[in-house]
Amino acid sequence: MSGPVLEVEDLTVTIATPTGPLQAVRGISFDIRRGESVCLVGESGCGKSMTSLAIMGLLPPAAKRGAKRLAFAGEDLAKASARRINELRGDRMAMIFQEPMTALNPAYTIGDQLIEVHRRHKQQGERIARERAVYLLEKVGIASAAERLGQYPHQLSGGLRQRVMIAMSLMCEPDLLIADEPTTALDVTIQAQILRLLADLQKEFGVALLLITHDLGVVARVADRVNVMYAGEIVESAKVADLFAKPSHPYTRGLLDCIPIPGKTAPGEELGTIPGTVPSLIGGIEGCAFMGRCPLAQGVCARGAPLRHANETHAYRCIVEAA
Amino acid sequence: MVDLASTPKPAPDAAIETAAETAPAPLPGTSAVRKPPTTLERMFRHRGLTIGAVLVGTVIFVALFAPLIAPHDPYAQDLTRRLIPPVWYEKGSWSHIFGTDNLGRDYFSRTLYGAQIALLIGFSVMILSGFIGSALGLVAGYFGGKVDMVVTFFITTRLAMPVVLVALAVVAMIGSSLFVVIAVLGLLKWDRFAVVMRSATMQVRSQEYVSAAQAAGASTWRIVTGEILPNVMPHLIVVATVEAGSAILLEAALSFLGLGVQPPLPSWGLMISEAKNFMFFSFWLIAIPGTALALLVLGVNLLGDGLRDVFAPGGRS
Amino acid sequence: MSTTVSTLLEMRGVTRTFQVSQGLFARSRTLQAVDGVDLDVKRGEVLGIVGESGCGKSTLAKMLLGLLPPSSGTIRLEGEDVSELPRRELARRVQPVFQDPYSSLNPRRTLASIVSLPLEVQGVGAEERRERSIAMLDKVGLPRRFADNYPSQLSGGQRQRVAIARALVSNPEIVVCDEPTSALDVSVQSQILNLLMELRRELGLTYVFISHNLAVVEHIATRVAVMYLGRVVEQTTTAELFRAPRHPYTGVLLASVLTPEPGLGVPDAGMSAVPPDPLNPPPGCRFNPRCPRAFAPCTTQDPRLVSDGEAAVACHLYTQPQNAAA
Repeated sequence: MSGPVLEVEDLTVTIATPTGPLQAVRGISFDIRRGESVCLVGESGCGKSMTSLAIMGLLPPAAKRGAKRLAFAGEDLAKASARRINELRGDRMAMIFQEPMTALNPAYTIGDQLIEVHRRHKQQGERIARERAVYLLEKVGIASAAERLGQYPHQLSGGLRQRVMIAMSLMCEPDLLIADEPTTALDVTIQAQILRLLADLQKEFGVALLLITHDLGVVARVADRVNVMYAGEIVESAKVADLFAKPSHPYTRGLLDCIPIPGKTAPGEELGTIPGTVPSLIGGIEGCAFMGRCPLAQGVCARGAPLRHANETHAYRCIVEAA
Repeated sequence: MVDLASTPKPAPDAAIETAAETAPAPLPGTSAVRKPPTTLERMFRHRGLTIGAVLVGTVIFVALFAPLIAPHDPYAQDLTRRLIPPVWYEKGSWSHIFGTDNLGRDYFSRTLYGAQIALLIGFSVMILSGFIGSALGLVAGYFGGKVDMVVTFFITTRLAMPVVLVALAVVAMIGSSLFVVIAVLGLLKWDRFAVVMRSATMQVRSQEYVSAAQAAGASTWRIVTGEILPNVMPHLIVVATVEAGSAILLEAALSFLGLGVQPPLPSWGLMISEAKNFMFFSFWLIAIPGTALALLVLGVNLLGDGLRDVFAPGGRS
Repeated sequence: MSTTVSTLLEMRGVTRTFQVSQGLFARSRTLQAVDGVDLDVKRGEVLGIVGESGCGKSTLAKMLLGLLPPSSGTIRLEGEDVSELPRRELARRVQPVFQDPYSSLNPRRTLASIVSLPLEVQGVGAEERRERSIAMLDKVGLPRRFADNYPSQLSGGQRQRVAIARALVSNPEIVVCDEPTSALDVSVQSQILNLLMELRRELGLTYVFISHNLAVVEHIATRVAVMYLGRVVEQTTTAELFRAPRHPYTGVLLASVLTPEPGLGVPDAGMSAVPPDPLNPPPGCRFNPRCPRAFAPCTTQDPRLVSDGEAAVACHLYTQPQNAAA
């Protein structure tokens, strides 16, 4: 396959609320190629999770999706029937959620759930499905996988459940894997193990990974490319090394200044902050959404920020050219 | 009835944070934002709630001002004017809008006074059972452990008893009167209060602000009245309305069986019971109190459902 | 090392067990959430307590706040046994800041009323209460006009400011912060950390700072205790802990921190993935089934916390003679 696995162009998500339409995602564009991992990073309410749900066609009923182009392996998802989306979901597009306990059905054994996914999409019989389930559970580092198939989700720890979720997402050899805060609910030691596993499997199976997170540490260690989201927009997009070497949007710089880094920030020293809060996304925003909190804001920011390019793969939206 | 105006402060829909932080800079593009509706505004927008409130309000009004509205004494018999049909029948007359019953009493006046009995029973039973049930539920939910086990045992025991049969037995033993009906129903119908209050209290009890109050050295009494009660109130109000409606229906049922309110009191259930011998020729005798009863209970239930809807999305409690 | 600094809180053999029901007819089992913790909190320091979920750090916090009595052992506040102190006295001197800013404020009270609760309990008059609450709200960065607002009108960071104001309004000596920034976005987390550091300097406070985030602990704490399955396995100054961790578990924790440095990849801490069952702790050192450096005595002997000046570690690597070189 030569083209991108996922192409997103001018994606919008609007949610109806009692106080008016909330523009959760305001025209974002990116694509992901085979074997590549792309991160969407941002703080709560920036629209990163809505983006993933919009791609999967899993938006809540109150939310509406719009896009100039939303294509999976060249196939237009916006025009695809609900039935076709159902076929793709779980088969060629898979998703891993933050809380595996709520994503797994407590009434069925993990074996039932793993096999069911495979049977629904592949029709190759139960034996092949079971073999693949055992193979993948071993792949995700679960010992005595065959016995584990008979266990129920509540019998597993959080880390093991997330491993099962990853195995389940890989049952049908997907081309695209979306992981929405996959390690946020886990302990730090388990987080490292799960991320390692995810990165290894991604390289091994060559899937395109869309990783959604708020944690810049996770971004730095896992992503190839990063899209920084703020108030429903991508404000900066770059290769991971470029982003951390030369953060160009004031918001990205602000975020990086906020986090204490052992060995880098002096203990007890005042940390950087971003004053103010995210503007309300109800009723739309004119101009640059960050201007109310930006140390570089000028009057012209109210008319919007131009897209600038630091290099071919590094773009950001700001009135000021980064030094 | 439930005092709508005194429910805790209007909590704006918290789903979307519009609060400006301490930053001096103005936020762009926020001018178009409409203010989120307050609880009171949500109440007015809720159709079921409005209809329920109007129905219940009308019945309350009628009950309070029955002596002023009623054209006749509801107890005055006039055997010369028996079974006159209501005004919309050919033979009806404006002097007896709803006609008269088999003893020649003015049916309109009796229906008006019937509202008093219905509400008196509904309220009294609600308050008595509400007090018992909420106290048990609060104690169980707050203290948990052994206390909870004991209360839960009480609740299960109570749930194992059929209300109507026990009420019938008690009334059959000690005779029936308005007071006995209220006492029996009040002492029996606390189960739902206890169940709902227990779980609501447990949920609030686990909130960190309760721990914060404990860490501030607050007494149990202060925590229960200041932190827990205000936050379980919405649940309590909803249960109370629904229970009042069910108490009114139960009274009607008991009275219909002759074991509730005793004649000549104008209870709607009793009126239906007295009318059953005449229902084929004087259908209004059963239709009028029946309709009144149905409308009141419908109103109370709509009100309860509406309050539940209005309280549910408010605040992140 | 200097011993002139006075010890404010002294924990000796603090243990807390819970009875865990195993279903209706099964016999309940005992969970040792905190098991024989010895810790000192010195005046003016920030003692960080780190460890993963289930290590007992929050249970320990509850005991320090008097919300939960220890099953055994003593907690002394300047020499006085906390269990014998009147509740209000302890409340005046030790106050909490909790994790979840959405559940830590009563939604039915105004901010001024929330903040003044500790004063109300202490019997301060209404007028003084309001004045002091508003002054404290102002100190944590919420201007006077917020005083009569309800929590639902505030963002997460603002709510946490209110929780801090409530903790500080009665002039406590110790503030127990239980994951105070875990539920916040990073840009808000830095504001709250700055505020906590500033308030400590200004008011001379002592913090017990509980967190699973080692980067945050490294930034704010002066001394760190690492907990694993109810026990303190290592404690030392923050700088020393991050420079040269001694307990293998501390090493694993530090190696798992994902700093925002691209190109390093996800580290392999070398720890077995099998999480411990707190109801059924392994014999010997509790960390031995997962320990990358476990050797013979670890599976049979329980290592004691051996202190050496400022630092203490519970690991056979440092007590067994044949491994003294390690």
